[in-house]
Amino acid sequence: MSVNRRTFLQGAGGAVALALAQGALSKIAYAQGASGTLRVAIAKPAGNLDPQSHYAIWAIQDLMFEPLVKYGKGGQIEPCLATDWKIEDGGKTLHLTLRQGVMFQDGTKFDAAACKWNLERWMGLDQFSWMNCSKHFQSLDVVDDYHITLHFKDPVLALMQELSYTRPTRFLSPKSVGADGKFKEPVGTGPWVQVSADDSQSVFEHFDGYWGDKPTYERLEAKVIPDARSRVAALRSGEIDLIGGFWIAPLTPEEGKQLEAAGVNVVVDPGNVTLVMAFNPDRAEALKDPQVRKAVSIGIDRAAISKVLYHGYAKPAGNMFSGALPYAGTQYDPPVRDAAAASALLEKAGWTGSPIRSKNGKPLTLELVVSPDAVPGSRVIAEVIQSEMKEIGIDLVIRSVDHASKHTDMLEQKYDLGFFLTYGAPYDPFGSIVGLCLSTFHNDVEGKLVTDPVNLDPLINAATAATGDQIQPTIQKVYDWLRDNDAIAPLVYVPSIWAHSKRIQGFTSPVTEYDMPYENIVLAE
Amino acid sequence: MIHFISKRLKHSLVLLFLASVVCFTLVVSAPGNVAVLIAELRGAVATPGYVEQVAEEIGLNKPLLMRYVDWLGDAVRGDFGISYRTGQDVSADLANRMFVTGILIAGSAAIATLISLALGFLGAFWPYKLPDRVSRGLALLGASTPTFFVGALMIYAFSVTFQLLPSFGFAGPKSWILPWLTVAVLPAAVLSRVVRVGLEEAMASPFVLTAKSKGLGRTAILFREALPNITPLFINALGTQVGLMTATAIIVEPLFAWQGLGDYFLAGVRFRDFMVVQACLLIFLTFFIVVNLIVDLAVLLTDPRIRRQWS
Repeated sequence: MSVNRRTFLQGAGGAVALALAQGALSKIAYAQGASGTLRVAIAKPAGNLDPQSHYAIWAIQDLMFEPLVKYGKGGQIEPCLATDWKIEDGGKTLHLTLRQGVMFQDGTKFDAAACKWNLERWMGLDQFSWMNCSKHFQSLDVVDDYHITLHFKDPVLALMQELSYTRPTRFLSPKSVGADGKFKEPVGTGPWVQVSADDSQSVFEHFDGYWGDKPTYERLEAKVIPDARSRVAALRSGEIDLIGGFWIAPLTPEEGKQLEAAGVNVVVDPGNVTLVMAFNPDRAEALKDPQVRKAVSIGIDRAAISKVLYHGYAKPAGNMFSGALPYAGTQYDPPVRDAAAASALLEKAGWTGSPIRSKNGKPLTLELVVSPDAVPGSRVIAEVIQSEMKEIGIDLVIRSVDHASKHTDMLEQKYDLGFFLTYGAPYDPFGSIVGLCLSTFHNDVEGKLVTDPVNLDPLINAATAATGDQIQPTIQKVYDWLRDNDAIAPLVYVPSIWAHSKRIQGFTSPVTEYDMPYENIVLAE
Repeated sequence: MIHFISKRLKHSLVLLFLASVVCFTLVVSAPGNVAVLIAELRGAVATPGYVEQVAEEIGLNKPLLMRYVDWLGDAVRGDFGISYRTGQDVSADLANRMFVTGILIAGSAAIATLISLALGFLGAFWPYKLPDRVSRGLALLGASTPTFFVGALMIYAFSVTFQLLPSFGFAGPKSWILPWLTVAVLPAAVLSRVVRVGLEEAMASPFVLTAKSKGLGRTAILFREALPNITPLFINALGTQVGLMTATAIIVEPLFAWQGLGDYFLAGVRFRDFMVVQACLLIFLTFFIVVNLIVDLAVLLTDPRIRRQWS
């Protein structure tokens, strides 16, 4: 078989022309805007929305599934599917009054039976024992159609706060699960019904039977745009209306500034997540000395990091938690950089010489492990700190690793210094205190920010066992110990940055990073 | 000819086997424990021993050789397993995403062919004159500008500034234009030089002198005599460029929010979802090997000298 070269060329040319003509004649499906539709960017597909399962963007779940109670501003617990609650028996019994007139999106009534079915999908199961209400769950009584009583083996710390979480506590219709008990489709009681979902977008419309206030617009499209620059461009070109949030479609401070300069509305919330530096005295002998830890801490210019690297959006941190969280403790001013005092502390600790200090012939070298995938911008922050440490005679070596390696290294304590992010609302302060600081709690994912079984554990255990008025003073003792021992170095309160188009009016950033901020928005057409 | 095809197929199979070994080894030898990442994704705080449970669940505790044999056996049957990150069937995801990447590569290859022929002819019509210099300059610019920068410029110009074309999405031809152009820039630049140099060499050949002596004009000689003569050369170069476009897709798809193989691969890498990474790498390498096979066959069909060599 042979083909003449001219014939080949003619054939190939014809095929290309045909393909291009077909493309040109096809219907152009792109529309610039859509009336009554809020278009939100999400960084990855919404994924499996089973409230008791795992992978998804939690803010997407928030559109459909509601909790018993909502986590409000400042940690106030507000009614949602439960209108009233009473905790008795020293915190071991919870009486719930359920909201009447609530329907699931498939027409099923929300009542005590539906509530019981939902709670039994996760309460008391090993998989969810990281939540105290699941770990201590004993039994559940249905009193009548709209009253239910939960019994726990032990008092549950921050019980109502736990019931406000996005996972696994939110309620789905019993009919949205197959006969085999597996999740089939997302049907909740929330104001939005999922119309379609694939890897490129999730589309939602009003749920007409919603019990509460319905959004003023009819449709919400969550469009998947993985690249941050593309999200910014899409907002500027008017193709989407809203980007931002730590877990939804993150914006860096640089991008926030660029958007501000371009005249786009940028909303910055102080946030409730803290970037904290961890010391690992088990690996770095020098860090066993609290004077060295203090020297490192006061050698860091938090104000400069906040001003330059976060473009003024972040606030320097003086505490493990910001005052935006309940039980955040006494709020201290952030340490001001004092290189002379830091140097004096190092001298006093026996680290002398220049340019790099040494003791017994061993140079003061510390390794800081960073992962820009896990903590955005951490590489640059590390470089600033490296330069500041050099000025006080510490040789700081930066090791940048990917997300997976960071997890392994932090778990195995292969670092001298490392960055941690606290969990934020609604999990904090107890989530981070227990998860990151209690030695007996096996956190197999992130490792520990700081542990001390002898001194710190009893304080944390006392705080988690406290009830009522005792909570504040007992948890303050944990904060005081961390501060007195320079056990950690809080750096900045990480801001929550949002940007929206001019179509959006009334935007307010969500209370937690796990919520979708759809509630107060009005679309101007 | 049959001997040639049979030999090339054997080579391709050996290459595919080696590629599977390389894919598997590279992915499993990367540092870090994927079970920890999965545990993190499944809950804000992992329960004690949960990471170990996840490792058991996804087979991380099995010996490496057993994992490789299991994976290869399944892959040959078209089963690439379940994504650790999403819990979805990788083969189904691949099938959906191959179409998207196919559109990207096919459209870009067509555009690159057209642009390169136009630029190459421009230079060949007016050798060493202004059009030739402009063509050469554009080729240099196109070949030396990083693809992500080209994409960002395209978005800035056509979406942000003039608001003519969508900056993301896969909703019909209008949204395909910018990704196509972005991917086409580099191959168009390279191929334009292949066309220009090929035409110059062809125009210096004795058959051109014969054509001239028959009274044919320059345009007719370029199109009728020289262009067919550079076809095998062009097909070879185009094949290489099409193969390399799979790498470009990894950059361009996330940029334009196209849910193709490149975007899938990148998400897999970021999460160390090695079922996805291994499958994508194997698909990319298979594509590269198949494209090369097709190119060799096309060259064989169009170049009588090679046919003679294998007959």
